[in-house]
Amino acid sequence: MQVVFGVQKIFNLACGSFYALGAYVGVSAVGWYAAAGGPPALFIVPLALAGLAVGAVGVVIERGLLSFVYERDETFQLLLTFAVVLMMEDAIRLTWGTAPRSTAGLYLAYGQTQLLGATVPVYNLVVIAASLAIALAIGWLLTRTTFGRIVRATADNREMAAALGVDLRRVYAKVFTLGTALGTLGGALVIPATAAMSEMGIELIVEAFAVVVIGGLGSMRGAFVGALVVGILRSFAISIYPELEMLLIYLIVIAVLVLRPRGLFGGAGV
Amino acid sequence: MRHPSQATPEPLRAHGTRYNNPRYNRRQFLGLTGAAAASAALRFDAAPALAQAEPVKLGVLAIRAGIAAPVGAAGLRATEWWAERVNKSGGILGRPVQLVVEEESNPKDTVERYRKLVLQDKVEAVLGGISTGVTLALGPVAEDLATPWLSWDGTTQKGVEETMPNPKWAFKSVDNEVEAIVAGILTPKYFKGIKTVAGIGNDYSYGHDCWESYQAVLKRYVPDVKFVLELFPKLGVTDFTSHIAAIQQSKADMLMCSFWSGDATIIMKQAAAVGLFKTMKGVFTTAGGVHDSLKKEFTPEGLLLGYNTMYFDDPKGSPLLKQFVREYKAKHNEYPPYECDHAFFNAESYKAAVEKAARSGRQWPEKAAVAKALEGIEVESLSGRRSWREDHVQMCNFYQGITTHKNSYDFVTISPVEVVSTKQAMKPAGAKLFDWINGWKI
Repeated sequence: MQVVFGVQKIFNLACGSFYALGAYVGVSAVGWYAAAGGPPALFIVPLALAGLAVGAVGVVIERGLLSFVYERDETFQLLLTFAVVLMMEDAIRLTWGTAPRSTAGLYLAYGQTQLLGATVPVYNLVVIAASLAIALAIGWLLTRTTFGRIVRATADNREMAAALGVDLRRVYAKVFTLGTALGTLGGALVIPATAAMSEMGIELIVEAFAVVVIGGLGSMRGAFVGALVVGILRSFAISIYPELEMLLIYLIVIAVLVLRPRGLFGGAGV
Repeated sequence: MRHPSQATPEPLRAHGTRYNNPRYNRRQFLGLTGAAAASAALRFDAAPALAQAEPVKLGVLAIRAGIAAPVGAAGLRATEWWAERVNKSGGILGRPVQLVVEEESNPKDTVERYRKLVLQDKVEAVLGGISTGVTLALGPVAEDLATPWLSWDGTTQKGVEETMPNPKWAFKSVDNEVEAIVAGILTPKYFKGIKTVAGIGNDYSYGHDCWESYQAVLKRYVPDVKFVLELFPKLGVTDFTSHIAAIQQSKADMLMCSFWSGDATIIMKQAAAVGLFKTMKGVFTTAGGVHDSLKKEFTPEGLLLGYNTMYFDDPKGSPLLKQFVREYKAKHNEYPPYECDHAFFNAESYKAAVEKAARSGRQWPEKAAVAKALEGIEVESLSGRRSWREDHVQMCNFYQGITTHKNSYDFVTISPVEVVSTKQAMKPAGAKLFDWINGWKI
C-alpha cells in the first residue's frame, strides 16, 4: 500500500482485499499440497508461492480499472478501490463459500519453543523472519537497483520521469503488482495462525489506516514503525487495561494528526 | 397431511378475490410450473384444482454477508430442505410452498425488505431473522403489518430484558443468554474446584449478556468463585495472541468464551499454539456453531462445548435428524449447525399451525387464526420436539458436552452429551433474569 501510494498517489483500499484473497488462495494451495501428499514440513513453500502468484491479479486491476482514473480526483480513486473491496469480498464468497476456512493443524507443524519464559509457536518466528527478509528485499530493490531508482524518480516527479523516457504505464503496472503481491503474500503467510474470513479485508484496512497515519503516507520506514507502534500498544493495552485497546490506537492517531499531520516519517520519501 | 388430489373446492373460496384476478392466474400458473414438487397430475386437473394448488408464498430473511453469513446460509438451506420435503408430500393443505428469499442486513434495509415481502410479494408469513439488532426493529413492524413473523435466531430483547412481552404476530427465538446459563449450570458438574475464571466474548450485547448471565449462574453454584479478567475484542478480530497472553497472565483456573463464528476457531488455534489449555479448563458456550472447523489438531479434549439447540451427531437423534445430516453433508459437504434446527422448526410449526387452524374452518385460515394456532403448538423438529411458548418464545433443548477426539471425523465432538431444556434454563415469561437466577433453589 505504501509503495503504491508513494509512486502512484493512489490510496488503495483494496489492499485489504488482496490480503484476504492471499489468505484464501493460501488455504486452498495448502489443501491441494496436503492432498497431493507433500511433506508437512515444507507447507510454507506452496503457501508462499500461491500468495505471490495470486499477486498477478494486481496487473488486471491496475490495467483494467485504475489506469483510467489516474488523472481524476482522489475521491474517484478511493471509490473505485472501495468498489474493488466489495466485489472481491463477494467473489471470495462465491468461490470459497461463507464459512471461515482454515489450514487445520499446520500452525503447529514446526512445533513450539520457549522464548523469554513464554511458549511461542515456531511458525510465528518463521513469519517474523520472512517479514524482515521481505522488508530488506524491498529496501534493496528500491535503493540499490535500476528499477528502484526509476520507481523513486517517478514517485518524486512523474512528469520529469516521463519526460526522461520512463514508461509510466509499465512502472505503474509493475509497482501495483508488487504492492498486490506483498498483500497477497502477507495474507497467505498469516493464514496458518488464523482462519480466512471473507470480511477480513475490511478489518485489515481499518488497522492499516491507523498504521499509515501514524507512520506517514508513502513511507516504508513509517509503515514499519507505525505497525510496531500499533501492535505493541494493542498488546500492552489488552494486558493492562483491556477497555483501552481500540481507544488507545485512535488517541495516538488523533495525536499524530494534530501534532504531526504528515505522520512520523511522512514526507521523508520512499 | 392432505394430498393435493384429495383437495376439496372449498379452500379456493378463501382467496376467491385473488382467483378472480386474471393477472394473478397467470402468475400462479408460472409459480406452479416453478414449484418443482407439485404433482404433475394436479397441473392438468380442472381449473378449480389449479386454483386450489395456488402456491403459498413464504418470505425468508437470511443473512448473506459478513460474519454471520454461514449462519444465514445454514438457516436458508434447512428451510429449502423443508420446502422440498413438504412439496414432495403434497404441500400445506394441498398448496405447494414457494419461498421468496430476501437478505437480512442492517435494521433499516431489512425492515424495507420485510415490508416488501408482505406488501408486494404478499407472503403468508415471514421466516428468519438472526441478529437481535435487526429483529428488535422487525418486531414492531411485524405487529404493524399483521402477518406472522417467525424468527430463527433473533429476539426482541434489549440486553436481557424483553421489549415485546405480549406480541400478536411476532414469534421470537430463545432468549440470547440461555446457552451461557446452560454452561453455568454444567460448569460445576464437570470442573470441580474452580476458583478463578477469565472471560472473553465479542464486544456487543450478546458477548456482554452471556458473560453477565454466566457469572450470575456460576456464583449460585460456587459462591466463592472469582472472576479475574474480562476481555471484549470487537467482532471480526482475527488475531487474539495478545488476549491469550493476558489470559495466561491472569492465571485463571478456567476460561469462559462465548465466541460463535470464525473467531472461535481462531482463538482455539492460537490458544493451542501456546498450550493454554494444558493448564486451564475451557468453556465454549457457543462454538458448536462452527463445530466442524474445530479440528482435533488444535482443539483439546476435555473442554465444555455448546452446540446451541441441535447436535448433529446426537446418538439419540431421531431418524429425521439422521436423514437431514446425511443429505446436508451430501449436498453441502459440511455437517449442519444449529441454525438449521431453528429454521426447520419455524417452517414446520407454521405448517402445523395452518393445518390446525384450518381443521376447524375447513378453509385456508386467516393469518390471525394461524398466529393464534402457533401459540403453544409443538412439532417434531430436527433436534426433537420443540414448541412455541404462549408468549411467542421458542422452547427447545440445549446440547452441550465435553469435547472428545474419539470419533471418525477430523474435528472434535462431545461425549457425554448433556441436554438441558429451556424449561430449566430460560427465564419464565415476564420474569427479570437476575432476580430469577438469584431465586433458584440450589
